[in-house]
Amino acid sequence: MMKAVETDLLVIGGGATGAGVAWDAASRGLQVVLADRGDLATGTTGRFHGLLHSGARYAVKDPRSARECAAENRILRAVAADCIEDTGGLFVSTPADDAAYADGFVAACQQAGVAATEVPVTEVLRAEPHLCPGITRAFAVPDATIDAWKTVWACARAAAAHGAAILPYQEVVRLMVEGDAVCGAVLRHARSGEEITVRARYVVNAAGAWAGRVARLAGCDVAVVAGKGVMVAMNHRLVNAVVNRCAMPGDGDILVPVRTVSVIGTTDARVEDPDRVQASADEVRAMLAAGESFIPGFTQHRALRVWAGVRPLFAATSPTSAETRDLSRGHTVIDHAAREGVGRFITIAGGKFTTFRLMAEETVDAVCADLGVRAECRTAAETLPDSEERHYYWIGARQAQAEARPVDDPLVCECELVSRQDLLVAAARRPGLDLDDLRRALRLGMGPCQGGFCMARATGLLHEAGHLDRAAANAALRDFVEERWRGIQALAWGDQLRQMRLDAWILLGVLDLEHLPE
Amino acid sequence: MDPSARMAGNDRAAADVVVIGAGTAGLVAAIRLSQGGLRVRVVAAGHGCLVLAPGVIDVLGYAPERVADPARALAPFVAAHPDHPYARVGPDGLDRALAWFRETVAPLGYVGALRHNRLLLTALGGLRPSCLVPQTMAAGDLSQGGPVLVVGFHGLRDFSPALVAANLCAVVPAPGTGVAARAATLEWPGPSGDGRPLTLARRLEDRSLRAAVGRDLRTVLGDEPRVGMPAVLGVDRWQEVWEEMQLVAGRPIFEIPLVPPSIPGLRLFDLLRRVLRAAGGRLQVGAPVTGVRHRNGRVEAVTVARTPREQVIDTRWVVLATGGVGGGGLQVDPDGTVREPTLGLPVHGVPVPGHPRVLPDPFASHPLDRAGLAVDEAWRPVDRSGRVVALNLHAAGAALTGCEPWREKSGEGISIATGYLAASAILEEAG
Amino acid sequence: MTPGRLALTAVGDSLDRCIKCTVCESACPVAAVTSLFPGPKTVGPQAERFRQSQGSSPDRSVDYCSGCGVCTRVCPHGVRIAEINARARARWRGRTGVSLRDHLLARPVLTGRLGRPVAPVFNWALGQRPLRVAAERLLGVHRAAPLPRVVGRTFRYRVSRRRPPRSPDRVVYFHGCSVDYFEPWVGQMTVAILEHNGFAVDIPRQGCCGLPLQSTGLFEPARRSVRRLARSLSPAGTDGLPIIASSTSCGLMVKREAEEILGVEDARLRDVSRRTYDLFEFLAGLHRAGRLRTDFTPVPLTVAYYAPCQQRGQGIGEPAMDVLGLVPGLRILELDRSCCGIAGTYGLKREKYAIAMAVGRPLFDDIAAARPDLVACDSETCRWQIGRATGLPTVHPLELLYRAYGGAEPGSAAAGPGGQ
Ligand SMILES: Cc1cc2nc3c(=O)[nH]c(=O)nc-3n(C[C@H](O)[C@H](O)[C@H](O)COP(=O)(O)OP(=O)(O)OC[C@H]3O[C@@H](n4cnc5c(N)ncnc54)[C@H](O)[C@@H]3O)c2cc1C
Ligand SMILES: Cc1cc2nc3c(=O)[nH]c(=O)nc-3n(C[C@H](O)[C@H](O)[C@H](O)COP(=O)(O)OP(=O)(O)OC[C@H]3O[C@@H](n4cnc5c(N)ncnc54)[C@H](O)[C@@H]3O)c2cc1C
Repeated sequence: MMKAVETDLLVIGGGATGAGVAWDAASRGLQVVLADRGDLATGTTGRFHGLLHSGARYAVKDPRSARECAAENRILRAVAADCIEDTGGLFVSTPADDAAYADGFVAACQQAGVAATEVPVTEVLRAEPHLCPGITRAFAVPDATIDAWKTVWACARAAAAHGAAILPYQEVVRLMVEGDAVCGAVLRHARSGEEITVRARYVVNAAGAWAGRVARLAGCDVAVVAGKGVMVAMNHRLVNAVVNRCAMPGDGDILVPVRTVSVIGTTDARVEDPDRVQASADEVRAMLAAGESFIPGFTQHRALRVWAGVRPLFAATSPTSAETRDLSRGHTVIDHAAREGVGRFITIAGGKFTTFRLMAEETVDAVCADLGVRAECRTAAETLPDSEERHYYWIGARQAQAEARPVDDPLVCECELVSRQDLLVAAARRPGLDLDDLRRALRLGMGPCQGGFCMARATGLLHEAGHLDRAAANAALRDFVEERWRGIQALAWGDQLRQMRLDAWILLGVLDLEHLPE
Repeated sequence: MDPSARMAGNDRAAADVVVIGAGTAGLVAAIRLSQGGLRVRVVAAGHGCLVLAPGVIDVLGYAPERVADPARALAPFVAAHPDHPYARVGPDGLDRALAWFRETVAPLGYVGALRHNRLLLTALGGLRPSCLVPQTMAAGDLSQGGPVLVVGFHGLRDFSPALVAANLCAVVPAPGTGVAARAATLEWPGPSGDGRPLTLARRLEDRSLRAAVGRDLRTVLGDEPRVGMPAVLGVDRWQEVWEEMQLVAGRPIFEIPLVPPSIPGLRLFDLLRRVLRAAGGRLQVGAPVTGVRHRNGRVEAVTVARTPREQVIDTRWVVLATGGVGGGGLQVDPDGTVREPTLGLPVHGVPVPGHPRVLPDPFASHPLDRAGLAVDEAWRPVDRSGRVVALNLHAAGAALTGCEPWREKSGEGISIATGYLAASAILEEAG
Repeated sequence: MTPGRLALTAVGDSLDRCIKCTVCESACPVAAVTSLFPGPKTVGPQAERFRQSQGSSPDRSVDYCSGCGVCTRVCPHGVRIAEINARARARWRGRTGVSLRDHLLARPVLTGRLGRPVAPVFNWALGQRPLRVAAERLLGVHRAAPLPRVVGRTFRYRVSRRRPPRSPDRVVYFHGCSVDYFEPWVGQMTVAILEHNGFAVDIPRQGCCGLPLQSTGLFEPARRSVRRLARSLSPAGTDGLPIIASSTSCGLMVKREAEEILGVEDARLRDVSRRTYDLFEFLAGLHRAGRLRTDFTPVPLTVAYYAPCQQRGQGIGEPAMDVLGLVPGLRILELDRSCCGIAGTYGLKREKYAIAMAVGRPLFDDIAAARPDLVACDSETCRWQIGRATGLPTVHPLELLYRAYGGAEPGSAAAGPGGQ
């Protein structure tokens, strides 16, 4: 018999939006199940640019988005401090940028309530020694960086603390419709193939770029166009603050210091299938060339990894007055009852990471209204786990931890300072994890060597601790080698190629992984 | 004398041969040349791969099926890969080079024969073929299977005896054979350990700590006739450590290579350096070569980057042994151009523009992997039309085109043979 | 006086070339003997990714780097590991503050000036165990650490009444603090050797190069020192002249570290740096040009020679071996070890003394096994360390050359810290 679960609300999609919805709904007292076909934050959320917008980027083009971002930026700093690094942001006019744009930019920021202060160029160059010395103007804004995996898991843990069930690796394969309403879904485990049913009073589709496919399971038509964005992580921080070009938003005009790397992005190109996005060599080259405009010599720096994310762009197919759709707001709450007569089913998508909390609030407001539940949203005031102290994350934190660690807890991943104990604790917390899940939890294998040194170590430890049997250990190792390869394959030149060669010597030469028994 | 002229003279040095690079190929060539009576100066940007590699001498391990007898596999292999360095080395060259090598590093007691690949245990529990191995790995040929006790240390981060033993039980060395492996773990000797093989190896050089390990070892012994341990049995004093552990165990112990840093590699590197010094050669490390000065088709001098003034070394011959992509001997630009960055030599075997350099499968043979220098019969780099670049410029080692040693398992074999033969060509000319 | 942007970013950015290969780790002499120092890769390119270019650095372990520079030298990929570490150490010190001891050790001129007028008392005190114990408690200078003795008459005083020979060939002598206050004979012999080879030697007034300040993490004062020194070493009328250094560490500071570690970008310094030669580098060059006088008398000694880290850092090979190899009767045994442990003032410090001795142990053992008459080494602090640890007399190799030219017994000097 298929296992069955009952709940008030099933949330499909464990990205920022879905996790936010789960947190919000659970904290209002609803019984929640959150399901994702993969691990949490493996969709667009885990592949975004890392920027907690101040709103400045949208000030000129989209003032309402700017205002929303400004407000959410302030809220998230208060409730999710541990996920945020207060890097600050800069808008700089490079010699190639129209200097007049800056005046309009400042005025627009003021209008949208985004604090933008002009900073003397000399001061900026002192703080950012890599920056193009030819910049003519610079403005400081409260941009920051935010860690996707930490944020999503913090939301999930907060939801769980309110009784929610978090189900990674559960794909929604069928939506159950009874009469004119959705009443649940069939979930299939991505690894075991086992299916369970979740009966729910309400279903929220937060499947991002995949939301169209999920909606179709209930016979609804949501036209999602996937827009691919390419990002390249450079091996270390070339800037200390988020640096934006002070110009009309375009490709490759933001450099974000995320954790130990700096990420240049991004692009926007339509793709047919959100599951098949690969950054091409040309796109990588274009990104690096774009970097040259504000960091001279950018191309000579080491490119560590490349990836692409997909923006879910909505094409309004059958707009009705009941829709809360508002183009300028960037996100859409689609009530399928009003739209296609399929009740108890909402699709939420679009927007930005920065506004996930707001999107969740609006969604859950609609759910509650429909269910007749009267409960106020609490997420603007309830701090997320580990953020209670309201200390921002600090780049040196891991180094400080490593310094304080006992000698006999050696580093497994030296690049990202993950110790044996870190690994074992994370593995014990969520049994059944593979190396890639541990990567997201710990940043295992995300540094310069891209796992060359730590993958085999970690495999041995997980086997020893009983988390993986022999065959699973070998398979996990091979899978991880393949996963890491995907993001460096397009970077086969310069320093990264030297690294790939050393890794090949280790994995194929010394360990002869290719001929390890299955 | 004009002061600036005088000062320029201060930045000159002279040698009969400048060997560029201190990896296996460079040191082999330099030792052989010094032994032949030439004044040799090795200039190297840094240490080579020797200290990273396990110190085993692979000759040919896969072609692409596992090779049991490299001597026999060589002819068909070079027939299929006419650009491979072995095509020039030939069976006789390989034989001479390896015999010379074994003699030169006699204190490490290399064992093995060209006619037989040993099957060595990896740090993951698989088997990999290799040809010559140092004494401390001699008992580790598992090509006939048989019971093995795999002994690790608590906290040693690069070696998990449980996984090694589990995998080992699943391998089939030869049809009808198998390995019965059992795992055991010893306490880390002395105060809490940092998990690094080098720390452990140095601890084992301490008598009293070693005694404790010995006592521990005795308690885990069973009736397996041999014991495999991670390659951490002493750095400088390896002989003492290894012999004493065998005495305690009452049976042969073999070392299992780990990921870098490699302790057997360190031993080999130290020995080669000592041999070079004893033969009168000089080694200058931290000295990246930036180019050469030519006249009449010959290299006259080598220039070395140095702050605040460049150094110029006048020389009669040059051996370029700067390694492959990993060692810095080859460089690839974002657009796929492959360069030999030190002297700007022509590079062969480069994938045509527009074609993929690497493939989506990490384990595949990638088009870029075989790029490198092509040489004539005297090991002198040639351009695309086969013309020698400079009459007294020779090349050896991982910089050569036509091979992918990490897959073939041919790394040190190529470096030793080509280093030896390039030196021989120069000695012949020197008379 | 902000450091140059480019010089600063070049060192930091070299971390991009690190492929974590462990070459530096396996060569580091400090990590080999203590777990307090997790190794050059760990505190260098690895930790650097967690340090912001502004703001403090959380890692005290970098303070255990002795700065010997072996890591940078052996790195095949050009990562400036030691330089990254030196900068990180300065930032760490910036956070924790610099102790009185470190302030004192960083200012040899001050120590020399304070000690000189009362040299007999000062030197007596150095030999008194109870006083050294007290100094260890109060100052953190290890009681057994090799400290130099101050001389009553400075080098400058001794050469002040000298009548320099006239010669069209002139050089400038960069003697450094140690020669002035602690080992004036080294300076006197340098001058004598250069004059013997037909050079007129200018000895401009000069202060400290700033190296001890730099290694203590006091970068600002170090920058001021080295800029001042660059001006002192290039007085009017000395344009283009070679500048000869007899101290390998001070020479290295001027040649490389001022720019690569301190980030000083200064035209005057660059010019001085381009003209600076280690004494034996200069002499070996003379020899190659056929200009070195070889009117040697035999020196029947067996000498163990150790090329110090700072000299290897200059990338000049081992010129002292080349030149001393010309001296009849002299048997030289070259010591192939990476560090003696002292690393400037590192080994003087209470908390690092044991580490420094352990680092030097293989070298001391090699020396003991070689049973030489003397140990020769170009660096003063290394001589003091080796002398103290082995009990053998130590000399600057130029003392051997001086003797070969018919001068008095090398050093008359006997041994390092105990000398004179
Ligand atoms: C290139 C790029 C850069 C960006 N940079 C920024 C930035 O710097 N700052 C910012 O604020 N915003 C940024 N954004 C926007 C932001 O990343 C996204 O708006 C946000 O992450 C979307 O989150 P989501 O939860 O809606 O979607 P997703 O994160 O994609 O989540 C959808 C989830 O649904 C799951 N799913 C799909 N189908 C099923 C199914 N059948 N069953 C179960 N689960 C399913 C997927 O696995 C996925 O995890 C960027 C977007 C892109 C494309
Ligand atoms: C992790 C690892 C594992 C390995 N395992 C094995 C194994 O199991 N079996 C096996 O047979 N082989 C193995 N090898 C390969 C073997 O070590 C190589 O074949 C061999 O080291 C290549 O030697 P080489 O002398 O050609 O180059 P390298 O060792 O790369 O040396 C190149 C030298 O040139 C110097 N150099 C480069 N450019 C310049 C310049 N411009 N100026 C001055 N100097 C320069 C470098 O600093 C270095 O000293 C392994 C290698 C690695 C890295």
